Amino acid sequence: MYNTIKINTGDGGWGGPLTVTPTDKCHTVLSVTGGGIHPVAQKIADLSGGVAVDGWKTTLPDDEIMVAVVDCGGTARCGVYPKKGIFTVNLMPVGQSGPLAMYITPEIYVSAVKEKDIVVLGEAGTVATEAPKAAPVDKGPKTKEQAKEEIKAANEGKSQGIVVKIGKVVGEVVSKFFQAGRDTIEMVIKNILPFMAFTSTLLGIISASGLGNVIANTIAPLCGSLPGMLVICFVCSLPFLSPILGPGAVIAQVVGTLLGAQFATGAIPAQYALPALFAIDGQVGADFVPVGLSLGEAEPETIELGVPAVLFSRIVTGPLAVLIAFVFSIGLY
Amino acid sequence: MELITNLAQGFMSLFTAGGETFMGWVTGIIPTVVCLMTAVNSIIKLVGTERVEAFAAKITKYAVLRYTLLPLMAVFFLGNPMCYTFGRFVDEKYKPAYYDAAVSFVHPITGLFPHANAGELFVYMGIATGLQQAGYDTGGLAIRYFIVGLIVILIRGLLTERIYLNMLGRNKA
Repeated sequence: MYNTIKINTGDGGWGGPLTVTPTDKCHTVLSVTGGGIHPVAQKIADLSGGVAVDGWKTTLPDDEIMVAVVDCGGTARCGVYPKKGIFTVNLMPVGQSGPLAMYITPEIYVSAVKEKDIVVLGEAGTVATEAPKAAPVDKGPKTKEQAKEEIKAANEGKSQGIVVKIGKVVGEVVSKFFQAGRDTIEMVIKNILPFMAFTSTLLGIISASGLGNVIANTIAPLCGSLPGMLVICFVCSLPFLSPILGPGAVIAQVVGTLLGAQFATGAIPAQYALPALFAIDGQVGADFVPVGLSLGEAEPETIELGVPAVLFSRIVTGPLAVLIAFVFSIGLY
Repeated sequence: MELITNLAQGFMSLFTAGGETFMGWVTGIIPTVVCLMTAVNSIIKLVGTERVEAFAAKITKYAVLRYTLLPLMAVFFLGNPMCYTFGRFVDEKYKPAYYDAAVSFVHPITGLFPHANAGELFVYMGIATGLQQAGYDTGGLAIRYFIVGLIVILIRGLLTERIYLNMLGRNKA
């Protein structure tokens, strides 16, 4: 028996509340939360009468996913499912952020959700709801063909002078440049500045409190030698660690900034910069494999085997990348 | 009284240091990044994704291009995370390897083209600004990061492909 449920916004969260009604076809709760089925996903499934599925092991056609439960810090996952038109529940208190922020709307997305935020509204059918499946598609920009046809229709019966034609082309180009500028500024405000604020505060505390010297004395010797970097990279790419270290590249970015401070003081010689870039990044995207594969329209079976294949490959290619970078940094500084 | 004043000053000095770092980044990094990103974003809009997609679909059958040019184009034109959608042009059995190659390029590209992954700039920027403060030029580092990135994603692609096909074979047997 299916129930209509309501998913409320959690403490400090954004978006929602969502009203979700399972159907025979679409009743699966996809838990994409770093392995395993998260209690929130389980609760949604239990209350609604649907099934919870581990997004790490299996994946489904998009039209069978009722709700996707993610724990995204604000870069990718939180936008991927809204873009596909799937109800998205984020466990983290994240609002509209990331490159796909425009798809994150209160009608389809809710964040900071805890188990207590999920309530039953009634049996399916008693509450009239409409799935927003088609809505995001309509919001997308017009395809070129459509736009061209519209212009054609508008110009029907008019003879265009060459001046008008040139004017139109210039206008089109300028508007694209302007839109590019708008996109860029939005990106700076939504993603770059917040990260700078967070990292510089952290860095300020570290350097002013004297913690910086402690780090310089412990990490610098490790990163200032090839074997040390190989060890760091190997540890970062261990299959049970890499998915935890990956999300949003936050750890790689913070470590990169900390190392930068060491390069600035000369505690680590500059010729180690290139291998260091690869040493701190052996885990890149390891948290994102199932989602990335499903974005590439991979079959569920491919994802099942693809995840361990990528993770195991990293143990070898991670340190190997450091070695290659080391060779290529000869003669750089 | 003096103790309290000292405490307060010490406390504030933590954030003054942070504020200086923040100011340095905002004035030192953002202006260039903004102009560069605007320029590249305009080019992408002028070229149009459809043309890129038509080309991408043609090159997937060559292993070397599949794990170098294809991810490069995907990351350059679509950025992180939409670059993984180019996986749909690739044969099913190569998809994990393509993902591995594409995701491993989202940071090496930021040295030259920050627009592709502006949310994760500081993997490269963190180290690069440090070098700048020490008086080094970072242009060479950005180019080498890009080139080594391409070599690494080719190796990752090929190796992950082998591992995946191996696992697939064993699974079927």
